[in-house]
Amino acid sequence: MNAPAHPQMHLHKVDLKPKDYKTDTPSFWCAGCGHFGVLTGLLRALSEIGVDPNHLVNISGIGCSSRLPYFVNSYKMHTLHGRAGPVATGVQLARPDLSVVVTGGDGDGFSIGGGHMPHLARKNVNMIYILMDNHVYGLTKGQCSPTSRPEMKTTTTPYGGVEEPLDPVLYMLTYGATYVGQAFAGNVKLASQLIKDGMEHKGFAFVNLLSQCPSFNDIDTAHAFKDACDQVPDSHDTSDLSAAMNAVNAAKQAGRIPTGLLYKTERPTLDQRMAELVERVGGHKDYDLRKIIDLARP
Amino acid sequence: MQGIPKNDLIIRIGGEGGEGVISVGDFITQACAHAGLDVYTFKTFPAEIKGGYAMYQVRVCTERLYNQGDTFDVLCAFNGEAYNMNLASLRPGTAIVYDSPGDFTPDIPPGVFAYPIPMTQTAKDMHNLRAKNMVALGAMSVLFNIPVESLREVITAKFSRKGDEVVQGNLAALERGRELAMALKKNDPWTIGTAKAKQDVIVMSGNNAIGLGALIAGLDFFAAYPITPATEVAIYVAKHLPKRGGTLIQAEDEIASISQVLGASYAGKKAMTSTSGPGLSLMSEMLGMAFMSELPCVVVDVQRGGPSTGLPTKHEQSDLFLAIHGGHGDAGRIVLSVESIHDCIDLTVVAFNLAEKYQCPVLLLSDGSLAFSTQNVPYPNPDDYHVVERTRWNGEGEYRRYTLTEDGISPMVDPGTPGGVHIATGLEHNEAGLPSYTSANHEAMQAKRFRKLKNVVNDVAPTEVDGEGTADLGVIAWGSTIGVVREALQRLRAEGYKVKGFYPKLLNPLPVQQFEDFGASCKRLLLPEVNFQGQLAHFVRAETSLRPESYTICGGMPFTPEMIVNKVREVLA
Repeated sequence: MNAPAHPQMHLHKVDLKPKDYKTDTPSFWCAGCGHFGVLTGLLRALSEIGVDPNHLVNISGIGCSSRLPYFVNSYKMHTLHGRAGPVATGVQLARPDLSVVVTGGDGDGFSIGGGHMPHLARKNVNMIYILMDNHVYGLTKGQCSPTSRPEMKTTTTPYGGVEEPLDPVLYMLTYGATYVGQAFAGNVKLASQLIKDGMEHKGFAFVNLLSQCPSFNDIDTAHAFKDACDQVPDSHDTSDLSAAMNAVNAAKQAGRIPTGLLYKTERPTLDQRMAELVERVGGHKDYDLRKIIDLARP
Repeated sequence: MQGIPKNDLIIRIGGEGGEGVISVGDFITQACAHAGLDVYTFKTFPAEIKGGYAMYQVRVCTERLYNQGDTFDVLCAFNGEAYNMNLASLRPGTAIVYDSPGDFTPDIPPGVFAYPIPMTQTAKDMHNLRAKNMVALGAMSVLFNIPVESLREVITAKFSRKGDEVVQGNLAALERGRELAMALKKNDPWTIGTAKAKQDVIVMSGNNAIGLGALIAGLDFFAAYPITPATEVAIYVAKHLPKRGGTLIQAEDEIASISQVLGASYAGKKAMTSTSGPGLSLMSEMLGMAFMSELPCVVVDVQRGGPSTGLPTKHEQSDLFLAIHGGHGDAGRIVLSVESIHDCIDLTVVAFNLAEKYQCPVLLLSDGSLAFSTQNVPYPNPDDYHVVERTRWNGEGEYRRYTLTEDGISPMVDPGTPGGVHIATGLEHNEAGLPSYTSANHEAMQAKRFRKLKNVVNDVAPTEVDGEGTADLGVIAWGSTIGVVREALQRLRAEGYKVKGFYPKLLNPLPVQQFEDFGASCKRLLLPEVNFQGQLAHFVRAETSLRPESYTICGGMPFTPEMIVNKVREVLA
């Protein structure tokens, strides 16, 4: 699949190195944070696609991960906790020629912003959502998140957790995402490959990147993630939704994490359907307003 | 048919939802507006989707109308429930047209003029049960001089899509109703006066008019979420915006709708949403971000009865506190309020102009009464409107999104523009948009953002003064209450009272000087508003030296002119 992800993106292709996509804003992440891997993977993917930074909009919510756009040379919005998805929907529908990337954390996306996730997927908004999933609230210094395992003690669960975590990948498959992939953030090669594919995918792409938090999550370490990841075999049928869900469920039961491209399908994107709708009603910018006003004549 | 022409007549039609009550009201409204008369309608819907009591009131006048009036002169009761619901309002002189034989036998109160019309029976005899309302309409057209040629025209236009048979069936029922009425002896004095001249008008509800105003302003993007009584704004826009190449998307909730609006605005488009109180509550946080990141947006709040779920279908003016100060931190916004259907068009254009110029959220307050009321307004020529576009970067030098300027306005740039990459952020930021939490920067940036709002008062007609010279009493009103006060003051002046009116349309920033000037010309001030706490009075006391006397009601209905007249008489007694 080498088709350009966005209708006009080929017009804006440039030849830049990964470092050219990096701003000189200093990062505020802790040493050893998995988010560095996500950033590296993203920069590499941008360079490989050749995205024009002027036509890239990077949108985030609130959290450690949501600071990522500051480090990327692009148009960007640092919005409110949980709201990156609908803001990105507005950008994408308003300007389908732009390349839209959301980056954010597990709490941002699946706790406070959880109500938006189904709609990004079912609407098939043409964008990529990169979840930087570290199973913990880091910016507020260590509270349990919707992906925390109960074995972990946090400041709000000092005696251990009392809830089961959710699996973002299973949810996004169910919600109707048309591209779902997962990788360990430290596996920059796979992460950047999935980001690149996801950006080039025509539709809503969800990439879950497991990212260790060395400061507040002492069980899901880089080693633990790395050891638990199994790349899906080449024989995995990425066009089969049931196969994708079965692969995830089987791995979970075995205490493993399936990585790689899990599912991919094609259906019309939201902006495409909007454009078709406008065409159907013969809409255009110069449509005479008087024709509309005349309808209200008695 | 004899009768004394009455310049101002109010007809109320009541019946079971689905019996054609709304159609009859619409036909009278359309026909009268078509004939050049002024119309102002008021409706109530049953809370249930099907059935229940439906009411439609049409006020028709040869002069300019500002509100739905005090009470009705003519009642048309399709059934016993409609009769009983309105029995208490029947007074000597009221005329009632009712279905007879029907499901009730009214005990007509003394002095009330009664006209029994076999509506159901006639429709049955014509094998056209659905035309019951047309029989009633025909009878009323004779009894009260509703312009019948215009009626035939609007009925024909309405049903022409359904074929000639349907048109003829309805016209026949109308004629049968006319014959029935002609056989009766008219005793009451009510007939509609004749229009002076035909006018080029449109007839719209407040909600539709807001949608039209947005189209005139150059709306590109609308994010919708259904909520009573604001949904019709979105419905109108959904129908017509695609014709102009624009996008309406329904969001999963109001937080998402305002988020989508800000995304579209950042992308360079004119964007809006409409909601009611509960939705506006949910949007508060994002409106703070719009102020902080200086993104233009228009949010319409069609107010309803609150608090909480409150009285969703009822009228109230109780979101002013929320509109002006809702949200955390020290955030500003522009708040406009509409008086009339005409305002719904014009001030929506103004709202967009202000949003684009000052790069901030603009809230437009309408209310449950205006939402469904229809009124004739002069045909709006789109070319007559001044439409403002945001100031965009000229591409020279290094681009800094939040450059500190004298008037606080920093040029914007659309994504895709080389050299213009920047961030829109809710974090406090420096001129380049990067996070900065220093005292000096936060103070400078807050001052910049609020500096912009200082000039707003010079950009709009912020207030209107009704009357001249000095007055014994000045009445301050906002929203649809203004139209009620206008008429009340006309009546009071006719009685010899020295009264003036003051009608602010810009409520934040408050046009303090205009308030002071008005206050100085009045011995006393009265501020009627439809909320419990006296919300505008609160702001007036806080920001000006004026001490208006609050007159508040919150029964789910608007004021009537009579209520204001009585209150003024009482205050000045």
